[in-house]
Amino acid sequence: MTKTIIDQAGTGVETRPAIRTRESLLSTYRTELAIAGAIGLLVLAVGTQVPQALSWGNFANITQAGAPLIIMSLGVLLVVITGGIDLSVGSVFSLTGMVTAQAMAAGFGGVSAALVGLGVGLVFGSINGFLVTIAGLAPFVVTLITFAVAGSLAFIVTNGRSMPIGDPDFWLLNSGSMIPGMPNYILFCIVLLVAIELFLKKMVAGRWFYAVGSSAAAAHLLGIPVKRTQFFAYVASSLLASFSGLLTISYILNAESTAGSSLMLQAIAAVVIGGASLLGGTGTAVGAVLGALMITVIQNGVNLIGINSFWQGSVTGLAILIAVLIDRFSKSRRGAV
Amino acid sequence: MTEKHNIVSVRSLTKAYGATSVLKGIDFSVARGEIHALLGGNGAGKSTLIRIITGTATKDGGELDFRDASGNLLSETDGRHKVAVVHQELALLPHLTVAENIALPHFRKGSRLYDRRLATRQAHDALSMIDRDFAAVALNRLIGDLSLHEGQMVEIARALSSGAELILLDEPTANLTAIETERLFDVLRRLTRDNGLSVVFVSHRMKEIRQIANVCSIIRDGRTVVKSVPTADLTDFAIIEHMGQAHALAAPRVTKVAAQQAMAGEPLTIAEDGFTVVLQPGTILGIAGAPAGPQTLIAALVGAAHAKRWTVTRSGWPGRFRSPREAARAGAGFVTGDRAHRGILHSLPIIDNVVASRRVTRGSFFANKHEGVECFDLMQALKVKAGSLWHLPNTLSGGTQQKLLLARWLNLPSRLLVLEEPTRGVDIGTKREIYQLIRDMAATGTAIVWWSTENAELLEVCDRVLAFDTEGRSSGVIERDQLSEDRLAALTGMAA
Repeated sequence: MTKTIIDQAGTGVETRPAIRTRESLLSTYRTELAIAGAIGLLVLAVGTQVPQALSWGNFANITQAGAPLIIMSLGVLLVVITGGIDLSVGSVFSLTGMVTAQAMAAGFGGVSAALVGLGVGLVFGSINGFLVTIAGLAPFVVTLITFAVAGSLAFIVTNGRSMPIGDPDFWLLNSGSMIPGMPNYILFCIVLLVAIELFLKKMVAGRWFYAVGSSAAAAHLLGIPVKRTQFFAYVASSLLASFSGLLTISYILNAESTAGSSLMLQAIAAVVIGGASLLGGTGTAVGAVLGALMITVIQNGVNLIGINSFWQGSVTGLAILIAVLIDRFSKSRRGAV
Repeated sequence: MTEKHNIVSVRSLTKAYGATSVLKGIDFSVARGEIHALLGGNGAGKSTLIRIITGTATKDGGELDFRDASGNLLSETDGRHKVAVVHQELALLPHLTVAENIALPHFRKGSRLYDRRLATRQAHDALSMIDRDFAAVALNRLIGDLSLHEGQMVEIARALSSGAELILLDEPTANLTAIETERLFDVLRRLTRDNGLSVVFVSHRMKEIRQIANVCSIIRDGRTVVKSVPTADLTDFAIIEHMGQAHALAAPRVTKVAAQQAMAGEPLTIAEDGFTVVLQPGTILGIAGAPAGPQTLIAALVGAAHAKRWTVTRSGWPGRFRSPREAARAGAGFVTGDRAHRGILHSLPIIDNVVASRRVTRGSFFANKHEGVECFDLMQALKVKAGSLWHLPNTLSGGTQQKLLLARWLNLPSRLLVLEEPTRGVDIGTKREIYQLIRDMAATGTAIVWWSTENAELLEVCDRVLAFDTEGRSSGVIERDQLSEDRLAALTGMAA
């Protein structure tokens, strides 16, 4: 790319390579492309063992099973970009399901029960945000506390019993089609992915997330609203965890106190696989979604091939390792060690 | 001097980062007992050379020898144990005390028990070589609580006490006051004379180079252009010419006539109980003195800390800013002196770093294409070379990163711009560009407050200087026509 520039004295015209003023998508999403490629290879590898892995039906299974994790990962990503961590998402997920089911049992309609469920996310997100920003406690400690509290409340709501969904139309939230031909769980994933990616890339408030995670001290001196940004990240994370809890009970039509217990680690893993640094300041929504997809594909593949499901964690661990190594390699070549 | 007396020597050293060749054949050697100035512009390869000597970077090609006092070749590991380095960006452990930071290198062989009393004594001895008063109070304080300038002293003390035979000082005086610099130089002279210590000294301050270095080497674009020549044999002009920066001297000096004429606009009033300084738009107020005073003032001006003492008034301003955000939005800009920790956003691309202040002051909503063009124009104006606005800032040299920080406030209609050591770690050519840039900003009506520990700089750029004594109290304002090194020294209580 060259640009013609008239030199300062105005004596002549010289042509020299100019600084790029527009972002190159290829270099921005280099890590994400690598992950997408890895997912493709993984699917093909499973396909060589079990041909039906490559069927449309299985792809639909993967997205339906993966949608809650994808949405939760997007929330965790927002917190991780600001340099924090949210350990409470799994518990908030479970508690939302229990509260929503209980609300329906108490006579609420599907919509109002779902709003009550989202209220759980709002409350816990606000508590996390308050303790991190105003009280100045470490995010790990704060969300460890809310993880424990929300987790125990999820049992208290029904005394530990699982709870069927009362509203017969509630399945529509997950599997209905607001847009003909596209099930809602896919729609939600796409809308949230695009909205969050555009927010992070194109809106100044989104850029502040990266600035805060890069250096809170520098961001503060610049006049960036550090605390407001962090608070918003925790609220968004809990709300998205709540929403993914709603999607799940709408799918299995039953709420369990322990439904989200394995999801917190998976969501953090998804974010890391997607190229975010737990030190903050980096990460993309596209990466987080791909990371969540990769974890889902691994689980699906392990099931299809018939490997003992106890191996799932090891395979996921290996995937995280490979993803992090790819990320590190691609970054060090850009001089960004 | 014969080859065998060199404690370290490199020949035809090469190093590339990716496709960028940083060192293209460096010859460099340090003899025992000499103070050797290593000179070159930003990006010439000085820091890379130092990193290779200390082993934090690996060489691609060429030879690197360490020798002991009788000229025997040492292994690289043994050789490096005789080398201590003071980095340009501080490398201290923030959660440990001053004493621990200084003494821990002595416990390198981990089999020894950590003897707290011994460590404290060693640290005290080392630190009191530079500043006895500081050593008396500082040993048990945490590094994280120290200012940049105190951290710098700790880092130097650590190098001095490490028992190294070669000390590499990468711009050690950038954060020191004149009197501390003088003490440091005394210590270095004594150790080189009595103990045969060798020192490599990187600085952009010509006066200091003349004061301290016997020998100098100059590198330019990754090649040695002058190797071990006595400093006295080179004129200032010859040195600058060898660095490839003669153009900087040819640039016209801006007369302050324009700036001295009162510009239209409302003045700012900076006040501390009973003591008032009126700051006219378009003037540059220098701040001189030991860091305590200037830091309090600057924190108040930019809303960085709850300032009880200082107020800054102007119609529409609250008198005391509660946060940097409030200050920035009211048109009070700030360029921090701690570029690495409180300035650059390292994981964000260049463009976000440059337009950050604009986004804050304008309260803009979207990050748009407009900003790309604006950032591009700023980079052109500042003569910054970068492959892409989406590269990370650490692909740029220190001086260029400093320009990015200044670019944040360039062409913004600020009322006030507060600068902390804006030419720290910047070469002579870039320094001139920055002076010019800031005068241009002043010419648009911005009032500038400029803290510098380099008196020569204050004399050159400032219309007036507000001096602080060593206790941190303001000791008076010196007007332009009375500015001199002597007056500054008298008012800051740092007469050498």
